[in-house]
Amino acid sequence: MMHFFEVEEVKKVEDDFLLDIDILSSRAGDCLSHMGVAREVAAITGMKCNFPQEKPKESREDLSSRIDVEIRGACNRYTLCAIEGLEVGESPSYIKKRLRTCGIKPINSVVDITNYVMLETGQPLHAFDADKLEGKKVIARYAKKREKIVTLEEKRYELDNDILVIADEFSPIGIAGIKGGIVPEVDKKTTNIYLEAANFDQGVIRRGSKKLGIRTDASLRFEYGLPVELTEIALERAASIMSEVSGGKILKGSFDHYSGKAEEKEISFDADEVRDVLGVKIPLKEMEKILKGLDFKTRRSENRFYVTRPYFRLDIEEKEDVIEEIGRIYGYEKIEEEAPMEEIIPSKGENSFSTEKECREIWKGYGFSESYNYSFIDEKSAFLLDKEKLIEMEKPVSLEFKYLRPSLLTGLLKNLNANERNFASVELFEIGKVFSSEKNGTKEEKKIAMISSRDDFYGIKGKIDLFLQELFHEEASYLLSQEKNKFFNGNRLATIKVKGEIVGEFGEISAEARKIMKVKSNAVMAELDFHKLQNLRKDIKEYEPILRFPPSIRDIALLVPQETFYDEVFERIRKAGGRTLKKITLFDSYQGKELPEGMKSFAFRLSFQDKNKTLSSKEVEELQKRVIKEIEKMSDWKVRK
Amino acid sequence: MQLYSMDSRDIQKIKEKFLKEISGTKKPDERKKVCKRYVEEELSSVFSSLKDLSGENKTSLGRAANELRQFILECLKEEKKEAIKEKEKIDVTLPGKITEAGSNHPITSLRGKCEEIFSKMGFAVVEGPELENEWYNFDALNFKEDHPVREMQDTLFVKQKERERLSSQEKLLMRTHTSPVQVRYMEKNDPPFRIIVPGRVFRNEATDSSHEINFYQLEGLMVGEKISVAHFKKVIGFFFRQLFEEEKISIRLRPSFFPFTEPSFEVDVSCSICSGKGCSVCSRTGWIEVMGAGMVHPNVLRSGKVDPGKFNGFAFGVGLDRIAMIQHKIDDIRLFYGGDLRFLKQF
Repeated sequence: MMHFFEVEEVKKVEDDFLLDIDILSSRAGDCLSHMGVAREVAAITGMKCNFPQEKPKESREDLSSRIDVEIRGACNRYTLCAIEGLEVGESPSYIKKRLRTCGIKPINSVVDITNYVMLETGQPLHAFDADKLEGKKVIARYAKKREKIVTLEEKRYELDNDILVIADEFSPIGIAGIKGGIVPEVDKKTTNIYLEAANFDQGVIRRGSKKLGIRTDASLRFEYGLPVELTEIALERAASIMSEVSGGKILKGSFDHYSGKAEEKEISFDADEVRDVLGVKIPLKEMEKILKGLDFKTRRSENRFYVTRPYFRLDIEEKEDVIEEIGRIYGYEKIEEEAPMEEIIPSKGENSFSTEKECREIWKGYGFSESYNYSFIDEKSAFLLDKEKLIEMEKPVSLEFKYLRPSLLTGLLKNLNANERNFASVELFEIGKVFSSEKNGTKEEKKIAMISSRDDFYGIKGKIDLFLQELFHEEASYLLSQEKNKFFNGNRLATIKVKGEIVGEFGEISAEARKIMKVKSNAVMAELDFHKLQNLRKDIKEYEPILRFPPSIRDIALLVPQETFYDEVFERIRKAGGRTLKKITLFDSYQGKELPEGMKSFAFRLSFQDKNKTLSSKEVEELQKRVIKEIEKMSDWKVRK
Repeated sequence: MQLYSMDSRDIQKIKEKFLKEISGTKKPDERKKVCKRYVEEELSSVFSSLKDLSGENKTSLGRAANELRQFILECLKEEKKEAIKEKEKIDVTLPGKITEAGSNHPITSLRGKCEEIFSKMGFAVVEGPELENEWYNFDALNFKEDHPVREMQDTLFVKQKERERLSSQEKLLMRTHTSPVQVRYMEKNDPPFRIIVPGRVFRNEATDSSHEINFYQLEGLMVGEKISVAHFKKVIGFFFRQLFEEEKISIRLRPSFFPFTEPSFEVDVSCSICSGKGCSVCSRTGWIEVMGAGMVHPNVLRSGKVDPGKFNGFAFGVGLDRIAMIQHKIDDIRLFYGGDLRFLKQF
């Protein structure tokens, strides 16, 4: 239905039809009832509702002579009446049929009528055998700690002082708003009953029902909240059906604890406001008709409306709520599209999405596929991580989701394991948020990570290097990492620095990670801090003039101790070469038996170039000598001649 | 003694024989051999017979033989070129040599497309935290304390010591929707504005083919003076027409309820697969439910320190996983989060 709720299913039950309607939670207060749905249908179609009006006839005897009621909390309203001398039997067939259609099992005339009236009005009712109560008092109170009750299904519950009960002078006879107790159960021998219709506090019922794990048709309705006016209406309706079906006399008067009606609030608004919000001009007369059809008390002076909600519409609080009512009954389909005329103001601040896009394109170009993994990890993978820093979830549906992921690598390793049997090589990357617990709270960071079973250490390093250059137009530097990280082999783990800032690390998988994550290949992986990458944005690159004079090339080979890092050698050559040394390329690196023990050899190609002249071979020789001299300052480095 | 002396007519005959033989030979390599044979054998025997001749006959025969020799050598040149060309021939239908291609996740691609469409309408793309607090996720969005709606979201909470004692700003959870970013953005920016917020959201639900513990939403928010349902219809109509690349898509709004909008709608689009005739994708209704939306509730504007007397707006949220599933005919949402290359490499 375009104006109201969705009818999920229409089913034929016996010779009746059952409409399964999805009631919006805001309308539970009035529409979890046949009357409420009938009122909606009337408002939409313009028909009238005829609800039963008859008042029950009361006897001369007074209720107060029989019982006293005491309210000690959590009741917005508590209404109780008494019927005496009735005969409990089977319900008439129209009642039994209605209950069966709606999925409720008929029990006996008294119980059936309370259910029948609940379906009709939305107000839960409860009947108990007057003669089974001890003392002359019905009390609504919080349970005592460890107080026990056996419910109608003969289940035993231990209560505590958050749970509201209805009790006689000695013990609880029912869990208020949730379930009746077995003691005052109405059975075939019952002749005198008390009939209760109450309006309990939503929160108290919700928490109680959750604590005890009992959800009933009644508790559900109380949880969503019901109009207080309903207790009286439902009680009268039930009493009059009962005296008609089961005989008996209704005692004069009823007990009615009433904390007072909700204040009637008048809401006023202009017809123009309706037009501005809905974007369509609805004639004043039509708006009036819609509001009256929905039982709003409505008056209008010129363009201004003054409306008061009907008692059963607890969801209506502000004028926006009233405008919605007008809109939905009028029909949203009648509103024509219209382009907004507001000024477009670009948002301030960072947008990470363009950097994300750039990163994705690069790694996709390298042949890596993008993976999305869960934001959670299990206990097993947590072994690889600093447990102190993990954020634990409260009752996750599965232990697979026990902690928030502090790294993207766990997910990628899991993917590697899953893909290894189908693919000769696996290359994946992911961009996503990771979480950790820090001294002063929690930390959420965006990371980019990759894994490859095809590349070796230098393979992935080359890719990372090119990737960072593409992003920043700046070369990254790499250091042997000093940090411990169980994912990586400590001897093959490098820290990545850009513009002097650490942006991440990469390296070869550790034996431990391979074992725990059941990975076969000797994979390499990297994880970088995305926000650092984004904030270290590339500067606009300054153009370097193209040199007109040809370069002179010289090769140089040297022996250095095996533990000497390439970086150190490179730096020394660069410094010695000065400005004319434009390019230093490592073209060979070798370790082997032919070399003196403990040494390795590097071969560099040096490219000298001057911007003002062609260098003479003498000048080049001088430069090369300078480089060699600088190298030989290191006692254990040797230039091979 | 020579019984028969040659003349230029014999040369002509040799030429004819040569041409016949050439045209009867298919492969350029074979034809090269024919040419060589004529030059080296047939013609050389003519040349050697010249020495026995004299006078005019010798001159004319010699000239004719030379001409033929030149002709055959030309043919040979041609045939050599042909032979090279022949060797260049390849099977163009053989598979190419490829470097393995990478791929973007299908939700990434969809998200990118959505961002592009909304950018055309001046919407800025904004982000917010996935690890949220209760205030932004619920209170600020007009979810009442102690209301069952708050529990219907299957919230995944963070384990915290003495949680009950914490304020809602301190109680942590994984955001159940991208809507908290509405309030976060309003707090820091003055209207008018239009933003979209794509991002990951969480529900503590058992996973199956249509439920995941995390999935993607795209939130939209437009706040200004006198923003109407009609404006919302235009923006959202434009979006879906562009997204499904179909001009004839129709949109319908059904009344709904969300605490943070009033009025609230469910947005249906006509099924682009069957053009509204009814198919399995739209459960034979011709409509697909794609979005929850509405006019921003005044309490939400108040939470974001925006004056509801002066400004209003609309907001919407669309599930990206569901749209991607419809578009690619994917029947199991878990494929998105399994990292299976057999799936990922298809996009």
